[in-house]
Amino acid sequence: MTQATTRTRTFVQALNEALDIAMARDPNVYMLGEDIGEMGGDFGVTRGLWAKYGDARVRDTPLSEAAIIGASVGSAMLGMRPVAEIMFADFIGECYDQLVNNAAKMHYMFDGQFKAPIVVRTACGGGFGGGPHHSQSVEGWFLNVPGIVLVAPSTPADAKGLLLASIENDNPVIFLEHKALYRIKGEVPEGYYTTPLRKAAVARAGSDVTVVATMKLVHEALAAAAELEKEGVSVEVIDLRTIRPYDAETVLESVRKTGRAVVANEAPKIGGLAAELSATIGEECFHDLKAPVARVAGLDTPIPFSLVLEKYILPGKEEVIAGIRSVMK
Amino acid sequence: MTLDIETLVDLYRDMWLIRAFEFGLEREFKKGNVPGMLHTGVGQEATQAALAAHLQASDAFFPDHRCHGINALAQEKHQGDGERIMAELFGRATGVCSGKGGSLHSANPKVGNFGDNAVEGSYMATVLGVALAYQMRGQPNVACCIIGDGTVGRGEFHESLNMAAIWKLPVLYACVNNGYAISMPVGKGHASADIVDLARGYGFPCEIVDGNDIEAAYDAVQRAIAHIRAGNGPYFLEFKTWRWQGLFSGEFRSPEEVKYWKEDRDPLKLAREKILAQGKLSAEDLERIEAEVKAEIEAWIDFAKASPMPDPAKATADVYVGWEVTA
Repeated sequence: MTQATTRTRTFVQALNEALDIAMARDPNVYMLGEDIGEMGGDFGVTRGLWAKYGDARVRDTPLSEAAIIGASVGSAMLGMRPVAEIMFADFIGECYDQLVNNAAKMHYMFDGQFKAPIVVRTACGGGFGGGPHHSQSVEGWFLNVPGIVLVAPSTPADAKGLLLASIENDNPVIFLEHKALYRIKGEVPEGYYTTPLRKAAVARAGSDVTVVATMKLVHEALAAAAELEKEGVSVEVIDLRTIRPYDAETVLESVRKTGRAVVANEAPKIGGLAAELSATIGEECFHDLKAPVARVAGLDTPIPFSLVLEKYILPGKEEVIAGIRSVMK
Repeated sequence: MTLDIETLVDLYRDMWLIRAFEFGLEREFKKGNVPGMLHTGVGQEATQAALAAHLQASDAFFPDHRCHGINALAQEKHQGDGERIMAELFGRATGVCSGKGGSLHSANPKVGNFGDNAVEGSYMATVLGVALAYQMRGQPNVACCIIGDGTVGRGEFHESLNMAAIWKLPVLYACVNNGYAISMPVGKGHASADIVDLARGYGFPCEIVDGNDIEAAYDAVQRAIAHIRAGNGPYFLEFKTWRWQGLFSGEFRSPEEVKYWKEDRDPLKLAREKILAQGKLSAEDLERIEAEVKAEIEAWIDFAKASPMPDPAKATADVYVGWEVTA
C-alpha cells in the first residue's frame, strides 16, 4: 500500500475537503443549515461548496433547528445522506427532540425498518468569550441516549477521516467540532480515506499514567505530558475520538498497563463523560489501579463571558497536570 | 359532490373497519389485554378513510396517535394483513414492529406508513425530509402528516409550514381538528379556533373541510393530492370533526355536545344516509357489510391474542445499525 501524500491543512480545510469528497462520491449526500451556502458557514467549513454543487445540495435554511434535523431524518429514511450544520452546539436544545426521539430511536422503535444516517456537524467548546450560549460542550446531553453516535476529532487528519466515516455510517452522528481547533494545522492525507469510528487513538505512548481526553483537551494533555516528561513522568494520552459508543477496550488496556488514570473533558464534571469513563475504569480496572481515577473537567457552572471568568471554570494544561500529579502521589 | 355508489360503499366499509377496530381494541384494553395507553379514532373515521383511499403505497404518511384506523387500512389495502397492526398493539412478535413500537409507533414503509412519533408534532419536521427526498429525486409522491389541533401549539408546526412553503415541498398537512387537545378547547389553546387562520400566512392553499362528511373529505383529499403531485407545493386541509373518546377520567363535554356529535353528526350514520339516498343498496345490504367487517376484526383480535410474545433478547437488537449494544 502506498502512503498517501499529505499536505499541511487547517482543521476547517480538512473538514471542507471531507465534505467535498463525500458530495462528489455520493449523489445522496447533501448539506443543510444556516448560512452554509454562498456564505460558506459561520466558520467557513462549507466555503466554496455551494458554488460547486448548487442550491439543491447545499441548502440554506431559516433559523429552524428542529426543521433542519427533521428534514435530515426524513430524507435519511428514504436513503439520502444529509449533513446538517447546527451553527453552535448550544442551539441543539432547539432540535433535541428531533435527535433524541426521532433520529436515535427510529431504527429501534420501528424494528429496523428505517435508518437515520444523518450527520449533524456542530461547533462546540469554549475559550473565546462566546458566553453562556455559544461555548458549551454538549456531549453530556447525549451520553444517556442509546442510538446516538458522538464523534469528536482533535486533529485535522482525524477531522477529515472521521467526517467521511460518519457520513458513510448508517447511524445518526453528532459530529463535534471544537471551535478552538478550527484554525490548528496538521498533516492531512490527500484524497479519500476514512478513520474508523468507535476506535480511540493513542496520541502519545507512555507508561506511568493514562490520560483519556477529547478534542481540545487532547492538546492540553499532550502539552502536559511534554512538561511532565522533564520530571521523569511518562504520560500516555488516549484521544477517545468517538465518545458514544466509546472504545472501552483501548482505554482499559492502557489503564491496566499504567495503573493510573486521568479523564479529561471540558464539559461540567457532574454526570458527564469524565464521570462515565471514571466509572467504567473503576468497575473494570479496580485491582489494577494504584490511585483513584482523577476527573479533569469544567466546573459545575454555566460558561461566563469575561475571559478571566471563563478561564477559571474551563480545564486546561495546568488542570491536567494537577490531575496527573494527584494520581502520581 | 356525490360519489358513485361503489366508491361510497368502499369508503363506508373502510370507516366501519376503523370503528370496529377501535371498539374491539377498547374492549380488549379494558380487559387488560392491551398494554400501555389507548387513544381511539372513533368519530374521525371519515378523514382517515379518505386519506387511505388516495394515498398510494409509494407515498408516505405520518399517522398520529388516533390513527390505528389508517394504519390498519394501509396495511390491509397494500399487503392484505391488517391484523399485524392489531398484533402490534397487543405487543406481539407478529406486529408490524415486532412489538417494539405499539400503538404510538406502528410503521411499515412498504405500505407508506412512516410511523407515528408520540411526541405530538415532532414528525411535522420529519415529513419535510421525506418530501425533500421526493423532490430531489423527481418523484411525484406525496408526504402527508396527520396532526391534531393540539399539535398546532408546537414550534415544529410553524417551522414545518414555513420550510415546506419556501422549498415548495410536496407535503399534505391533514389537520384533524377534533375540538380538544386532551381537555383544552381549540379556541382556548390557539389564537384561532380555525387552524387555517394560522396556516394561511405561509401562502399555500388551505381549506376547511367537513371531517364528518365522507364525500367532502374524499373530494378535498383528492384535490389536495392532485395539486401536490402536479408539483405545486404543499396543501393544508383542516378537517372539522369530534372525537368520541373523552378523557381517561371520563366525559368532560356537555351532554348536549355529546348528543349532537354522536347522534346528528356521526360520520358513519351520515354516510349510511347518503348510500341509502342513492336507492341502490338496502339497509340490509349495509348491515351485512357491517357484520362482515366486525367478524374480520374479531379474527384480527384472535390472531393478535394467539400470537407469540417477542423474544426478550430482541430488546437489545437494532439500537445501532451494525453494532451490538455492549453495556
